[in-house]
Amino acid sequence: MGSTPPLVAMTGIGKRYGGVQACRDVDFAVRSGEVHALLGENGAGKSTLMRVLSGDITDYEGSIEIDGAPVRFRGPADAQRAGIAMIPQELDLVPALSVADNIFLGREPRSRWGGVDRRRMERETGRLLRQVGIRLDPRQPVEELRTGEQQLVTIGKALSLDARVLIMDEPTSALSAAEVQRLFQVIAELRAAGAGVVYISHRMEEIGAVADRATVLRNGRVVAEFAARSMTASQAAEAMVGRPLSAMFRTTSGEPGEEVLRVRELAVRPRRPRPGRREPAGITLSVRRGEIVGVAGLLGSGRTELLETLYGAGTPGQWTGEVLLRGRPVRPRGPRHAVRLGLAFVPEDRRISGLVLEHSVLANTALSIVDRIARFGLLRRRTETDAAADAVRRLRVKLAGLGQPVGTLSGGNQQKVVFGRMLLLRPDLLLLDDPTRGVDVGAKAEIYRLLGEVAREGVGILLASSELDELVGVCDRVIVLRDGRSVREFGTGEARAAELLAAVMGDGGEAGAAPPGERPASRVGGGT
Amino acid sequence: MTQRETIQRESDGAAAPPAERRLDVVSVLFRFQSMLGLVAVFIAAVLFSPHRGAQILFLTSENLFNVVRAVAEIGIIAVGMTFVILIGGIDLSVGAVLGLAAVGSAVLMVENGMGVVPTVLLVLLIGLVFGLLQGIASARFGIQSFIVTLAGLQVARGLARIWSGGQGVAIAYGDGPGEAPVAFSLLGERTFNGLVPIPALIFVVVAAAAIAFLRVSVFARHLYAVGGNQKAARLSGVPVNRVKIAVFGISGALAALAGIVHAGQLNQGSPNDGAGYELDAIAAVVIGGTSLAGGRGSVVGTVAGALLLGVLNNVLALNNIDANIQLLIKGLVIVAAAGLQRLRPAL
Repeated sequence: MGSTPPLVAMTGIGKRYGGVQACRDVDFAVRSGEVHALLGENGAGKSTLMRVLSGDITDYEGSIEIDGAPVRFRGPADAQRAGIAMIPQELDLVPALSVADNIFLGREPRSRWGGVDRRRMERETGRLLRQVGIRLDPRQPVEELRTGEQQLVTIGKALSLDARVLIMDEPTSALSAAEVQRLFQVIAELRAAGAGVVYISHRMEEIGAVADRATVLRNGRVVAEFAARSMTASQAAEAMVGRPLSAMFRTTSGEPGEEVLRVRELAVRPRRPRPGRREPAGITLSVRRGEIVGVAGLLGSGRTELLETLYGAGTPGQWTGEVLLRGRPVRPRGPRHAVRLGLAFVPEDRRISGLVLEHSVLANTALSIVDRIARFGLLRRRTETDAAADAVRRLRVKLAGLGQPVGTLSGGNQQKVVFGRMLLLRPDLLLLDDPTRGVDVGAKAEIYRLLGEVAREGVGILLASSELDELVGVCDRVIVLRDGRSVREFGTGEARAAELLAAVMGDGGEAGAAPPGERPASRVGGGT
Repeated sequence: MTQRETIQRESDGAAAPPAERRLDVVSVLFRFQSMLGLVAVFIAAVLFSPHRGAQILFLTSENLFNVVRAVAEIGIIAVGMTFVILIGGIDLSVGAVLGLAAVGSAVLMVENGMGVVPTVLLVLLIGLVFGLLQGIASARFGIQSFIVTLAGLQVARGLARIWSGGQGVAIAYGDGPGEAPVAFSLLGERTFNGLVPIPALIFVVVAAAAIAFLRVSVFARHLYAVGGNQKAARLSGVPVNRVKIAVFGISGALAALAGIVHAGQLNQGSPNDGAGYELDAIAAVVIGGTSLAGGRGSVVGTVAGALLLGVLNNVLALNNIDANIQLLIKGLVIVAAAGLQRLRPAL
């Protein structure tokens, strides 16, 4: 193996963004027939390194060799010609176009008359879809697909490029367990054909199952390299974070105080039905001050809809049942009203509903409180900056300055900014919808630490999550939702992941109760 | 405490390492990008200006003030348009509202015998309410502002025609019946030793007020957030609908103000006044670097954009360029200026 040069060898790669050194002297190679995992926290430099390799970043230090010959890409098109294809983390599909149109966008096969050869395009698409294991009509618009299916279409698109090196950035984040297995088969086929794969993921069990080698980045440097099969999850996690992970989850619990939220038989009845949503149809629960209450449920169990209803988002007021806040019945008319009532909400998708990406960290962090600290409708910059700086420091957000656009932060740090905004509101009740989704181990640990801290200050927390380990590790109690109803409650210390899973799936583990495509795993339902 | 100071210092760029100096120069240049186009057109105007003896005609103070007066109406409208575009909307009704306001000014004074102050206040109120109604239609019922204000354009024109009887209403000054108070004719005059045209002064005051407002008000922070990511703004507790409605109110009121200025300069109010002004205003906003997608831009840029168009018109007229050729050149310059906006450094 040592005699033939690797497919790709990156040597001494460095890249600065303003004051932040994203990559520093990184060596990284992919051999033919190898799956090389790349690990690291958000902001460790994985994406930067891969954007260098895919030709997206052109002003870097160091050198790249392909088959032993030095290259310098001037753009993504150069890299594609050299056989390097990237499956991006964010799905870049055109929603209104069909599956086939998306896969062949910009390189449509031509017919004899110069038009688009639709039949060939659809035939080819069908073949690619079979390869990634989904059965879809190639003519179906992409916007009608589930997120997982869209992710597989993106993968199919990359396969159609016949790349020799395929970069997969979190390819499974929205896939069901069965789809993940199918993807692994595809990777095995690629490997057998002599291609190289760079595999980026936060899920340790996937790395062990699919990768040959794993390289760990921290603060832009290579800090460890493992043989993937013999690597343990804690080894990898410690290398990523740089310290032992003894206290990943919260250890001390808040002292439960008075009841802050009581929900009785909540059922949402929208005037116009909302397709693709599971409306709450009878949810009863309560949250006391200092308590973290989990909401467990599959995708389509109504957990997101529950939080949105409590927060007055979605279809405010169109529900029956009873919601008591600090003992008083309330009916939030909208998020603004909910905030006034003492609620705060961290939404599921920070990029779509959490942040104004091109605005500064300061503007984003202070967004909810600018009117509270204003005088005669005028901003008070000093107070505002102090508050934002405090929040950012408390949450340990890694940033160059408060003026930095929030979109340039890593995912975990973006999530902390959304978090910080809500904490500045000093809420009585904090609603969180899958707050650690797509967030790395280190940032997760910090979010858990913070949840504990906030709870100890007397805030009630309602945490919906798709990660059962998280619910078991962090919550005092867990409410299980199924088909829009609360069906079971686990008390303090009672919940174990396996039992929780059984309850979530339907007692006795009848998998048939789950929506198609969702299978038991340590994670249930990716959410969209 | 110390960390906060560090954060602030870093955000000010003072602590930036020397390696970034060059980059900083570039980013500063881009910050004043909206000015670059204006500077370029200004220099071109100086170069191509006709001379009278040794005097460059374009650069005479009288001519320069004429430029500002000529853009005053479009400029005032464009300031309001900037607010609307910042939230990702568009207001196509402003030209027609200008016409309605011009007609209203003339009719109220000439036919109803009202004084200047009540007339101005009432006309501004009409513009404000018209804008607010469009904002309500757009925000509450979720209709795109393009459609709402396209309809508003028709309605305002119709109202102006009905109110004026379908033709221009001339404004004669005097104390008798059917005559407007002389004070209104101030709008066609100059102040400061007969140098600064009143409309130019109004434009400058409106622009300055808007710039200050966007710098210091909470409303501005909400406005930018709504334009940048409406969903995130709503979930953060920003009163999204209120912001939207207010923005259309501001645009309507400013269009009415431009209509009053228009009537004062031309001494008449005609229901067809202001046709196509909305497009000039949008051009000024876009040349000024405000993103049509919302969330990014400034009134400073809009002022620069309006002045750019004014300078261009002025120098083309000074050179007696054929009107059709003028249109051609203007079109090209608008595209070039907007293209310049695309050249911003990637994040």
